Amino acid sequence: MKIVLTAKGKEWDSKIDPRFGRTEYIFIYDEDNDKIEILDNISVTSEAHGVGPKTAQKIFDANADILITGNGPGGNARTVLESGNLDIYVGASDMTLKEAYDAYKNDELKKF
Amino acid sequence: MKEIVIVSGKGGTGKTSITASFAYLGNKDVIVADCDVDAADMHLLLKPDFGNPKDFYSGLLAKIDQEKCIKCGKCAAVCRFDAIPIINGKFIVEPLNCEGCGYCPLVCPTDAIEMNEQNVGRLFVSNIKTESKMVHASLKIGADNSGKLVAEVKNKAKEIAENEEKKFILVDGSPGIGCPVVSSLSGASFVVLVTEPSVSGIHDLRRVYQVIKKFGIKAGCIINKADVNKNKSKEIHNFLEEEKIEFIAEIHYDENFTKAMTYGKTIVEYDNGEIKKILEDSWEKIKELTTNL
Repeated sequence: MKIVLTAKGKEWDSKIDPRFGRTEYIFIYDEDNDKIEILDNISVTSEAHGVGPKTAQKIFDANADILITGNGPGGNARTVLESGNLDIYVGASDMTLKEAYDAYKNDELKKF
Repeated sequence: MKEIVIVSGKGGTGKTSITASFAYLGNKDVIVADCDVDAADMHLLLKPDFGNPKDFYSGLLAKIDQEKCIKCGKCAAVCRFDAIPIINGKFIVEPLNCEGCGYCPLVCPTDAIEMNEQNVGRLFVSNIKTESKMVHASLKIGADNSGKLVAEVKNKAKEIAENEEKKFILVDGSPGIGCPVVSSLSGASFVVLVTEPSVSGIHDLRRVYQVIKKFGIKAGCIINKADVNKNKSKEIHNFLEEEKIEFIAEIHYDENFTKAMTYGKTIVEYDNGEIKKILEDSWEKIKELTTNL
């Protein structure tokens, strides 16, 4: 499984970025080979409008299976995300990436 | 630290007056973020010192290099916004009309057009009349608010709140339901809806709640000027029940709201009677609802 987390930093103990579209980084963890890939989302956050679908596109391009984020994507991003085979988990706002991943593993996050 | 966002959908419901009152009551526990940037007016009530100004860039603006321009007019022909008039025999970009779409540099045969980030205004971190700070912005003429600017105001407020261990960020949300509102709501812990019993008040309350609901954020509602139209107030109550939105308070129509404003005061500074009491109780209730999330 490929897990994507919206992140404020590049380490497992960085915080979750509660924003979806304007997340600072996209942290991708591939469980199968234990590899981490980090995408800097600056190209999107510097846009004035319409960032939700752009971030969603990046997540699709990464072939992610699971998305873990703060309080959930807005309407437009959600419409885009729903068209893919992606499970979204929310409510990880105040957690570190590691805590959020563990919470997802223990079934403690809310499915969006 | 909890982030409380106050929105109304419709303008003129008393959102900013109420937000400023909560900022005053919350005093040093609260960092204020004014994300109603198009027509920012909270500074009139909270008296910020416009400290730490920082230029803010958003969107693109075309610029034509006159040395390279061969005056073929292709740029002006493709521009949907008629933003490239000929002035004194030169093709000049009219900044108020340019939407930054980037079509003109694509058709320019001599690469004379570049797209530059536009300086649209300034961001401030100010000391205000409470023992706390406010993050706010002012836009240049013709510039508009954006999700980006709202995100920047909120992120700055969050950074200060974390450094100074504040309990709450109070966000005066943007109007409507578009990009800036989505950005205002992103990352919020709790939303306070301020509405009024009018046709457009209810209509816009329903619309903005659709956005909040998609985010799955808990919300409460204050009905301002509730006695102006009792039937419409009843309609709002029914809506709140249907949607399981927490009813926070009703405030009756009171001219002290306007009077306080003309003195540059928050209503809780100006009014010592019933309204002050209602707002104090409301703030306590919001804190309780937010803390128990």
